[in-house]
Amino acid sequence: MATLRAIPAGESIEFARLKAILQATDGNLGSHIATLEGAGYITVSKDFVGKKPRTRVALTRSGRKAFAQHIEFLRTILDAAASRHE
Amino acid sequence: MVRAMVFSPQDAAGALRDIEAAQARSAKLHGYARSAPQLLLWGVLWVIGYGLNDFFPAYSGAIWGAVVPIGLIAGFAALRGTGHDIGWCYGAVALTLIAFFAAVFLVLWPINPRQQAALIPLGVAAAYVIIGIWRGPRYVATGIAVAALTLTGFFLLKQHFFLWMAGVGGASLILAGIWLKRA
Repeated sequence: MATLRAIPAGESIEFARLKAILQATDGNLGSHIATLEGAGYITVSKDFVGKKPRTRVALTRSGRKAFAQHIEFLRTILDAAASRHE
Repeated sequence: MVRAMVFSPQDAAGALRDIEAAQARSAKLHGYARSAPQLLLWGVLWVIGYGLNDFFPAYSGAIWGAVVPIGLIAGFAALRGTGHDIGWCYGAVALTLIAFFAAVFLVLWPINPRQQAALIPLGVAAAYVIIGIWRGPRYVATGIAVAALTLTGFFLLKQHFFLWMAGVGGASLILAGIWLKRA
């Protein structure tokens, strides 16, 4: 999700490109994508470029929001630890 | 998202570092992939434009008057085709570049066709270096290569500068496009 979050809102990335960036296998990435799609955090669209199939992945608004909340959650842990040491 | 998990401060700091690194890598590689078709396109257009310019110097204005709009329209279509939501930004960048070079030519007028033909690639090269300072070293390398090749042709190959820009300049953009595509 961190990889997808770096892509501007409204834009998508091809599955092959995402796989190369993450250096993941088809199966591993496919499994992650299915889970995130099921949660409504990403959308997967399929079309053809000429005769070649193309799969594109994009972060949804709720996915972006959920990930931002996750980051905020991690930061609050650090802030809490820092305030305990003061 | 994963609030049920127990995170120590060390875990949280590590996770944030990993997220930051993943985002930086993704932004850089996504940017390279987005730029690659543009470099390939303009590499081909440089071969055509500068090549025709060398053989038909009297029609320079007509040649570039056709090549530049074709490049802008094709570049816009290439970005749209890859799912990039560029909106008005592409047009704004194109207008800015056209206005900038028109203003430079106006300020320096009269300048000869060779100087005009060198100024544009040098401006583009500078833009790539500046973009690369933030967005990735491959842009910097591309900008430096284009500037070095342009200056080499301008000072050493006065009679065949346009042919040099068509062959070497165009080829360097095409190679840079392939290099970014494979990043």
